[in-house]
Amino acid sequence: MKSSFRKAVRAERLKLKRSPVWLAFIALPMISAFFGTFNYLNNIEILKSEWFSLWTQHSLFLCYFFMPALIGTYCSYLWRLEHTRHNWNSFLTSPLPFPALYFGKLAQAVFMAVLGNLWIFFLYYICGKLSGLNSPFPKDAASWFLFGTIGAVAVCCVQLFFSLVIRSFAVPIGIAMAGGILGLWVTNKGMGLCYPYSLYSIGMRANNPNLELDIGAHLVNSAGYIVLFAALSVLYLRRHEISAN
Amino acid sequence: MSTQNLVETHNLTKEYGKVRCVDSVNMRVAPGAVYGFLGPNGAGKSTTLKMILGLAKPTAGDITLFGTPVNEKNRIGLLKQTGSLIESPSYYGHLTGEENLQIIQTLKGCSEKDIDKVLKIVRLDEARKKLVNHYSLGMKQRLGLAAALLGFPKLLILDEPTNGLDPAGIQEMRNLIRSLPEAYGMTILVSSHLLSEIDQMADHVGIIRKGELVYQDSLESLHAHAREQIALRVSHTAIAADLLRQNGMEVSQEEDYLLLPMLDDKQVAALCRQLISQNVSLYRIEKREKSLEDIFLSLTGKESSL
Repeated sequence: MKSSFRKAVRAERLKLKRSPVWLAFIALPMISAFFGTFNYLNNIEILKSEWFSLWTQHSLFLCYFFMPALIGTYCSYLWRLEHTRHNWNSFLTSPLPFPALYFGKLAQAVFMAVLGNLWIFFLYYICGKLSGLNSPFPKDAASWFLFGTIGAVAVCCVQLFFSLVIRSFAVPIGIAMAGGILGLWVTNKGMGLCYPYSLYSIGMRANNPNLELDIGAHLVNSAGYIVLFAALSVLYLRRHEISAN
Repeated sequence: MSTQNLVETHNLTKEYGKVRCVDSVNMRVAPGAVYGFLGPNGAGKSTTLKMILGLAKPTAGDITLFGTPVNEKNRIGLLKQTGSLIESPSYYGHLTGEENLQIIQTLKGCSEKDIDKVLKIVRLDEARKKLVNHYSLGMKQRLGLAAALLGFPKLLILDEPTNGLDPAGIQEMRNLIRSLPEAYGMTILVSSHLLSEIDQMADHVGIIRKGELVYQDSLESLHAHAREQIALRVSHTAIAADLLRQNGMEVSQEEDYLLLPMLDDKQVAALCRQLISQNVSLYRIEKREKSLEDIFLSLTGKESSL
């Protein structure tokens, strides 16, 4: 079983060669960091909490708008590889268990989400230094990164499921964007920990670095969404039929 | 060589909604055979092959491969011994031919050296570094075959493998398929809607029509059906038919004609005398040859597919 997972991950990595989708993970956080820093510097009189204030400006658009859309795009791309050119035939006749085939895709999505998050924090650090922040980089950022990443994995699982069952490339991305924006409202209503797209932004303490995170609820709910949507995806693969042309 | 069939289906049936695409098919593919699965477009060939590969679930009936039932539990073990090319070839266009094969080789867990071998077999070794998006349809088809050959499986399932190939490519593909059982000990199940194609590469044939397997035997037996006949047109068809049957002759009627097995000149002369003596007038005596096409048409009832 272990070797099946390894084979699936390696095969998925080979499929992503010459695929420029990852560039979006570089570009969008840069745009967000640029505007966030610009906004911070222009409102420095009222934003007095230095690193925390900068994070509020960096994280708001990124966590609610950009990152869900980015994850959605990447997940759509991962399944688009199979939705086109009759690739379901070869994908489903691979001599690997269905969970391994699914895990190959999930591993790529999670890998990009982790790299994306690392890039976000790297940009945050650089922008802070360039903005002249001399106070030490907040230790809390480690927790923001950790729980943000866990929330991102939940979003990956949800989006991979939608992109698996919906053949369209754009529709799941639309769902991700709507899901992210709706997350702002759900979080304001205090129900964010029950909503997968908010698990990412709450974990990242987007716009609210002082938030006391209910770690237990965050972990349990993230794990719940991960297990639920991974199971639904594997079940779908198991039941999937290739109808005649 | 084992006499156990490599592929066996028992009353295999598939319904999509109320439409029965495959109807109680009992297919038998012997080891080492090139089994031509012949039928007009839409007859249920692809659906049958997909069920054999687990890509579609049967509504009823069951399948065994290598004597093992096809089910969720045995799926991986069976797929390891099987190569397939279903409908159009699967490929990732942004990758080279070689990279596409690396993906399949990784998933199948076979040797990397197999990539070189199969590229040579399908004559794509010079185009291995080219993006598949820039391949012609024929090259993509050959890449699909190369992918199916990776790991040199015991069973190869090919669905219309000559689609999109030019005449030279078709001939090359037929020769290649025909050579595989001897060269690599493979058994081939190949579908086509072209009788001539199956006639040239298969040694066994199954003919499917509207989801039903209407014929299954060696190609030799199918040829035996393509026999010569004597056709008679007479004044009193029913009386003549009775008379001939009383003489122990096998008689069938087709429109105004009575069809008899091939007779020699003396037998024809004796038959004429007998009919005339019974006041049956002879209008026509013809020698007819039933071609393989005629048999196929009579079995499938489709003229458009030839």
